[in-house]
Amino acid sequence: MEPLHGLLDMLVLRSLVLGPLHGYGIAKALHNGSDETLDIEFGSLYPALKRLEVKGWIVSKWETSEHNRRAKYYRLTTAGKKQLRQEHSEWLEFAKAIARVMGPAPEV
Amino acid sequence: MSLWTKLKYLLPSNRRAEERDMQEELSSIQELAGTRELGNLTLAAENARAVRTFAWLEHLAQDVRYALRSMMHAKAFTALAVLSLALGIGANTAIYSFMDSILLRPLPVRDPESLVIMKWRAKRFTSAARGFSNFTGGTFSDPQTGVTASIFPYPALRVFQDNTDVLSSAFCYFPADRLTVRVGDETEAIKGQFVSGNYFQGMNVSPAAGRLIFPEDDDVTTAAVAVLSQRFSQRRFGDPAAAVGQSIRIDGVPFTVIGGVPGGFFGAEPGWIPDVFVPMRAQVIIQQPASQASVLAQYENQNFYWIEIMGRLKAGVSLEQAQAVLAPQFARFAEGSVSTEKQREALPILAIQSGATGLDSLRYRYSKSLYVLMAMVMSILLIACANIANLLLARTSARRREIAVRLSIGASRLRLIRQLLTESVLLASLGGVLGIALAWWGISVLTLLLANGRENFTLHAGLNWNVLGVTLLLSVFTGLLFGLAPALRATRVDVMSSLKEVRVGFGERARSRFGFSRLMIVTQIAFSLLLLVAAGLFGRTLTNLHSIELGFNREDILLFTIRPRTAGYEGPALYSLYERLRERLTQIPGVNAVSLSSRPLPVGAGTAAPVTVSGIPLPDPDGNGRPQNIAALFTVGPRFFETMQIPVTQGRDFEVRDRAGAPRVAVVNQQLLKMLNSQDLLGRTLTVAMGQEIYEIVGVVQDARFFNMKDEFRPVVYFPYEQNTRWSGEMTFELRFSGRPLDHAGTVRQVVREVDSRLAVSDLKTQATHIDQAISQEIALARLCSIFAGLALVIACVGLYGTVSFNVARRTGEIGIRMALGAQRSRITWMVQREVLLLSIAGLAIGVPSALGGSRYIKSFLYGIQPNDPLSITLAVMILLLCGLIAGFVPAHRASKIDPMVAVRHE
Repeated sequence: MEPLHGLLDMLVLRSLVLGPLHGYGIAKALHNGSDETLDIEFGSLYPALKRLEVKGWIVSKWETSEHNRRAKYYRLTTAGKKQLRQEHSEWLEFAKAIARVMGPAPEV
Repeated sequence: MSLWTKLKYLLPSNRRAEERDMQEELSSIQELAGTRELGNLTLAAENARAVRTFAWLEHLAQDVRYALRSMMHAKAFTALAVLSLALGIGANTAIYSFMDSILLRPLPVRDPESLVIMKWRAKRFTSAARGFSNFTGGTFSDPQTGVTASIFPYPALRVFQDNTDVLSSAFCYFPADRLTVRVGDETEAIKGQFVSGNYFQGMNVSPAAGRLIFPEDDDVTTAAVAVLSQRFSQRRFGDPAAAVGQSIRIDGVPFTVIGGVPGGFFGAEPGWIPDVFVPMRAQVIIQQPASQASVLAQYENQNFYWIEIMGRLKAGVSLEQAQAVLAPQFARFAEGSVSTEKQREALPILAIQSGATGLDSLRYRYSKSLYVLMAMVMSILLIACANIANLLLARTSARRREIAVRLSIGASRLRLIRQLLTESVLLASLGGVLGIALAWWGISVLTLLLANGRENFTLHAGLNWNVLGVTLLLSVFTGLLFGLAPALRATRVDVMSSLKEVRVGFGERARSRFGFSRLMIVTQIAFSLLLLVAAGLFGRTLTNLHSIELGFNREDILLFTIRPRTAGYEGPALYSLYERLRERLTQIPGVNAVSLSSRPLPVGAGTAAPVTVSGIPLPDPDGNGRPQNIAALFTVGPRFFETMQIPVTQGRDFEVRDRAGAPRVAVVNQQLLKMLNSQDLLGRTLTVAMGQEIYEIVGVVQDARFFNMKDEFRPVVYFPYEQNTRWSGEMTFELRFSGRPLDHAGTVRQVVREVDSRLAVSDLKTQATHIDQAISQEIALARLCSIFAGLALVIACVGLYGTVSFNVARRTGEIGIRMALGAQRSRITWMVQREVLLLSIAGLAIGVPSALGGSRYIKSFLYGIQPNDPLSITLAVMILLLCGLIAGFVPAHRASKIDPMVAVRHE
């Protein structure tokens, strides 16, 4: 299952709240964090990272990983945190609205 | 932030660094993950790159690269397209730059929009206004609208100056066609302008050097001050500042140079550029003392119309408001100036015009021919566009498979159309750039054609930002115009069938596509026909003008004009100067005869008066008691008829002995004999109007064109200049050489200088040139039109050739089959040529009626033929058909040489 269009940016920002991650780490975090429900293609994730970087919500830095490998780590900026808060509240509103319309599973 | 990142990314070095970084990151991630887990990394990288770029810019760059590549592939097509567009755009730019300089460019003064020009209209040139027939063309009359004029009596200026409600200023000027200006030892005849004291304040120009003319300068006692044009002061003094304070002589009277006007300033009349500005009342002080009083009286005369008046509107006042306020005031003035009932019938009515682009006499003279030329060059551009549309269509048809492949792998149609349009706009832009180069050259050619050897021709057109902007727009517009239809058609393909197809077949679609290209060809032929007919009409007009029987021999004569009064000659001194000059000029080696006359023939404007001859009853053909005995009067020198080679049929030519004091003599022409209905005038006496003087008729000569070339022969009486005082202040010398008169121009100037260096030689030219100058517009039109028609024909033929060739190539298989089945080669040739003929005939079917209907718009340019001249139209049709058949011959020949075996195997 792929995330709804437009939600990918929010999910990426959310995955970085706990600390910096490299590109593959973000993919894993999203996959695992959703109990393996969300399956995000790397082909979509990677351009999203670049897009967020250009917008200034995340920054990247080359670091050495726990396995002593060089990798590029992404970190939330202040603007990114602010953006995440805003998108989160918007998404909550949206989800509530959808839930209200849909109600409990209808008998069909 | 985002924009900045994108801009940084445009730098190749940044881009490379980013790319390295990204590749490194992707490979590091690849090491962490399993191979299949990540999917298409190239696409990921591609999409990541797109984040940092301006998509449209990338696409544009791609499109341009693609277009350049495909243009390089088809070099012949590109060259042909660019060249024909360059010709079309170049011709348009050149003609438009003339329109710009004559019709559109505002006067180079501050706030030109608030300038107004005073004019008046009347049913006829009213007898209330004794008009000064002005050389600047201030007066136009038209049988429908009556007379429009921009000349006023001097007292009328006060009417406009007194009104301070709508005008902030009113000022006047009077152009002087020729002032003899002497600086140091050099004398020359230049254009001048008499201006009111507030002229420069009103025009709102600042001096380039010194000061300009002030109101207190405009007085008979202080008027001897002059302001020079930049051109003149540079030529004579080095620069405007150096001229200030210098003394120059104008018509022999000393003036002090007080300043210079800025370079671009020329007054109010585009194309009429004065070199010296002097106060209005300098007009009085340059006269001989005897006539000063009568000139001064002009400033008080309410019926003598001569000055041109301009004004500036007060801020916030509209032209209509000014008209409403000033018209009644001028009407009161005009009413107060007349005395008879007849004058009251045709009082002048004020009509204020905007002065932003200056006086419109130049517009009046050239605008119609410019519109005709503009229509022609537009047609050429249209023909070129149709041509390129056709060629593009043929080319995109060849690219159908490529386009189908691209559509099938997901290219959007819009994207493909954009790509094809990029190519056509690029073509058009190249054509535009080359066109500007052609226009630059064309403008100088056109100026040369229009000036036709006139020394002081001052109509200057040039490329400016306005013109270049229009050219740019035109290029892009033509690019879209000829690119759109082929692009739309090319991308509307049925992908599957196109991919399967080996070659464009004989299907429905193919036919409809060639319907479009046929339509283009037919249009081209129709337009070419129009241009050819116009060229034929103008060409025949020119031939007619050149073959007008002049009555004198125009060849081998050199003309020049002097104005000796400006050097102080008067009375007997003047006569002896002429005689001395004539003798000296006769001694120049190669001169066969020398004479002089008050003007060169034809005279343009001259005097006419009723004449009576002793013993001959006045002719009264209408029987209403109003005798028709008007004859033109012309003063000439000794041996005039010999010099001009006008045959003397009875009696004798004028001789040196016909001087002041000798018995008064006259020579008459055949028309006068005809008018008076008598062959026996020799020895009789002639009287002019109510004059006292009687002249003995000593000779009868053949008729010669007098007023202008297109005029019929008029009765003329010739007088020796010493015996008739009607001549003006200038004299033209005619020198007949045994060949190549212009070779002697230097010698003639030298001789005049030796006789008196204060004399300025002007209008030194051959008699043939003098005549050509009278018809310079017709000559220019005829030549340009032939060039344009030739151009149109070539472009249309190339189009025809291209289309037919393409059709033949497309039908190679079909033709092969036909021949394999036994079709004769001649039949194949006919099959191709028939198509050419049908297309041509369809074009003619549209073109001929259009030519018949449209040619009446150029009727006023024609001489000696009717607009629907059958010869011109037939000739145009023949030329077109012939050219069409020639264009079709090569492809037809190629078709007939197709080897059926090769053609069928080719399938």
